[in-house]
Amino acid sequence: MNLLLSDDYLLQDYPESMTSTIRSGHATMLRFNRTGDYLASGRVDGTVVVWDLETMGVALKMRGHNKSITFLSWSRCGRYLLSTCQGWKAILWDLQTGHRHREVRFRAPAYMAELHPWNHNLFVASLFEEQPLLVDISEPVDVKRVLPSAPKRPNADSDIALKEKQAKEDAKQMTTSAIWTATGDHIIAGTSKGKLNIIDAKTLEIIYSEKICTGVITTMRITSSGRDLLVNSQDRIIRTFRIPNLAVPDLDPDTIQLPLEHKFQDVVNKLSWNHVTFSATGEYVAASTYNNHELYVWERNHGSLVCMLKDPKEEQGVIEWHPSRPLLAACGLETGRIYIWSVISPQKWSALAPDFAEVEENVEYMEREDEFDIYAQEEIHRRRLDAEDEDVDVLTADPTKDGEDLANFRMPILFNLGESDSEDEFVAVSTGTMRRRSPGESQADLSAGAESAAPVRKKAGARGGKGKKK
Amino acid sequence: MSSPDELARDTPPPYKRRRTGDTPSPRSSSPDILARDPDDFRQPPRRRSRSPTSTNQSRSNSFSPEPQQQLTPPRELPKPNYKARLVLHGHTKAVSQVRISPNGRFIASASADATVKIWDAATGAHMDTLVGHMAGVSCVAWTPDSNTLASGSDDKAIRLWDRVTGRPKTTARKAGQEMAPLRGHHNYIHCLAFSPKGNILASGSYDEAVFLWDVRAGRLMRSLPAHSDPVSGIDFCRDGTLVVSCSTDGLIRVWDTSTGQCLRTLVHEDNPAVTNVCFSPNGRFVLAFNLDNCIRLWDYVSGSVKKTYQGHCNKSFAIGGCFGVLDGEAFIASASEDGDVLLWDVKSKEVLQRVHGHEGVCFWVDVHGETMVTAGQDGSVKVYRHLRHSGEINGNGTKTESKAPGQGMLQGELPIRQDDVKVEDAISV
Repeated sequence: MNLLLSDDYLLQDYPESMTSTIRSGHATMLRFNRTGDYLASGRVDGTVVVWDLETMGVALKMRGHNKSITFLSWSRCGRYLLSTCQGWKAILWDLQTGHRHREVRFRAPAYMAELHPWNHNLFVASLFEEQPLLVDISEPVDVKRVLPSAPKRPNADSDIALKEKQAKEDAKQMTTSAIWTATGDHIIAGTSKGKLNIIDAKTLEIIYSEKICTGVITTMRITSSGRDLLVNSQDRIIRTFRIPNLAVPDLDPDTIQLPLEHKFQDVVNKLSWNHVTFSATGEYVAASTYNNHELYVWERNHGSLVCMLKDPKEEQGVIEWHPSRPLLAACGLETGRIYIWSVISPQKWSALAPDFAEVEENVEYMEREDEFDIYAQEEIHRRRLDAEDEDVDVLTADPTKDGEDLANFRMPILFNLGESDSEDEFVAVSTGTMRRRSPGESQADLSAGAESAAPVRKKAGARGGKGKKK
Repeated sequence: MSSPDELARDTPPPYKRRRTGDTPSPRSSSPDILARDPDDFRQPPRRRSRSPTSTNQSRSNSFSPEPQQQLTPPRELPKPNYKARLVLHGHTKAVSQVRISPNGRFIASASADATVKIWDAATGAHMDTLVGHMAGVSCVAWTPDSNTLASGSDDKAIRLWDRVTGRPKTTARKAGQEMAPLRGHHNYIHCLAFSPKGNILASGSYDEAVFLWDVRAGRLMRSLPAHSDPVSGIDFCRDGTLVVSCSTDGLIRVWDTSTGQCLRTLVHEDNPAVTNVCFSPNGRFVLAFNLDNCIRLWDYVSGSVKKTYQGHCNKSFAIGGCFGVLDGEAFIASASEDGDVLLWDVKSKEVLQRVHGHEGVCFWVDVHGETMVTAGQDGSVKVYRHLRHSGEINGNGTKTESKAPGQGMLQGELPIRQDDVKVEDAISV
């Protein structure tokens, strides 16, 4: 609604300066929900924290994992959040209650698990040194189906030696990243050998594979439109691809093509990239750098570097671009703080005084014919009232998207999080005065959080609180 | 920042609702008595504001609606026909503000006697009295889930109350300890509003500032140097991105919630003091209550007045009102200083109904679907129900189904019981 009044669209659409820092424990993973009003962060101690971006405060804390969080995924409605940790499990949280909805155990640590874009009871998990799984949790007992990692080969009825060699190679192929296409009909998987597979989610068969890079594929992301794919791999090159339309009814797997669009790399410093993200519309690509403090932002039209964000003196890990605004969140690897970059729109001074207008250049004022005529007060008043013949509609809302948003899940407001919860490093001494928490104290909080993440969860909140006050 | 004495130069201060209510109401008894008086709404005098159409009612139908009646539903122009139904006594001083909870089940009233009372909207039963403020309470606000209540008082504090327990909100972290009141304003709190998500509370005060509070943490999030006179009214738009505030300095300002920047200032040429503002249900217009007996509907994008509503009396108090919706048609409700309540058609600016409310000034009116409540200087709260003109019973739950989408915000479940209605119909015979 504020868009009606702002001309922010005139501002640049990528972040330019750091606007805030938030912290709750040591964050390792970040994810915005679809509407962009909440940011979920996963911590080293396994706690999942949901931030309200409007207040920049903690909205919810959920304890259930006891190892570092590796991945987070929101359901479309924003009510469910799937978290995976290095300890071999994934938890689907119900944010209505703040409790775990389902828990799924794996036979290995999970790199990531992403929820189906339309169905929160279905997700795809990629595991360490194991084959990826498609997990269906709509039934009380979860159904895990193994997805293939070995690339699709052309019908080669060649000699046995070659086949054996291929089988050996295939055994080394491990899926390191698997995401859904926008429709949820296909899964795009990247392997440890730099292969990209497109898997049909119904038949679980690979319909397309191609070697797209030489290193391990570490991150894959698609834009919200589902047309572009962003791949980060260990060969120090970020690639963007155009995703073909897989929804056509008579899709011939042999005609699928995945054209490479851009390669982003730092040829001078040979930097390697920790994490990558698309901007809201996919117009920009941002990446955090390994062993370096900068964030790089490229634009995709020409593939040129537009800016480097370098405020915090810290290497950045996971980065996330807000789904609608020019806002970038990144978590520092060393301190686990969450840094937020965005644009600061300047105050328009004419907004404060309605009889002033900001003009670009001098304007010659044209006097109205009757501007200085004198009328009786009643006459003016009557005329004014008569002029109000316009038809006004105070009920019909703007049909663009916000009707949909209102129908969405609304997270309950919790009052029991404590006042200094969002700023763990500060303790309120008295009204308005804060003091930096001494290192020992925050340590106490961390350990309390870790121990309370043990299977007995119900006392977790209370114990975490006690630990904090020590 | 001005001290209270400065503000009192023209006595009584023109815009403060509850100040003039400091004389005890003559009818007050002990405050916690269940105040529903069955005789009260049976008395004929209260019926004098009946609109002419209501006499068309067929008697037999009003007693027992027959099935065949529903086959020919009346196609009349929807016209509000609110009838006084309950009078809630209990406050010992003037009631400054009254608000129906978003789910329509509860009524909260704030009074100069430093208490807030919660009533059952259906029966009028007194449910709780919230005691804790050290001075008169000027404003209350419900969270969207109807479970929490905020109240702002002349003791400069804002308190958050749990509707279920009737106690201040507690923080689990401190083992059941009650949440401290929100302090920060340097002067009386005069208006409050929750954001649609319930995560932000906006407060306007006599210290001329607008504060935005993080409700979860009870922390001051942003302070807006808003006006050069007491902030008299505040509201959030439906998606929570805009806050509107007004002041007796005659300015209406529209703020961006996320950046805290002023996006627009609205001033009328005559610069009349503005004492209350609210957004239209779709958030495209701002309704401003001026101290020149006018209510103005502003298009805040173009910065122009679209409609001016007149007919009520508003010269000296911060009188409140709101939008109401019946059968997909919007109307504007406002209290009047002569004790009446007026309802206008939004488009034609015609007065649709004038209901007698209170002896003395009627300070506030709130509408939720077919229920309307008013607060009066006489220390009472009155509840009204919309009475349909046909024989159909207005409490029929099935009646609400023909609503156009998008108006669900205004019409939740309607807290009207069937037997309630029968009593009313019996009187009208």
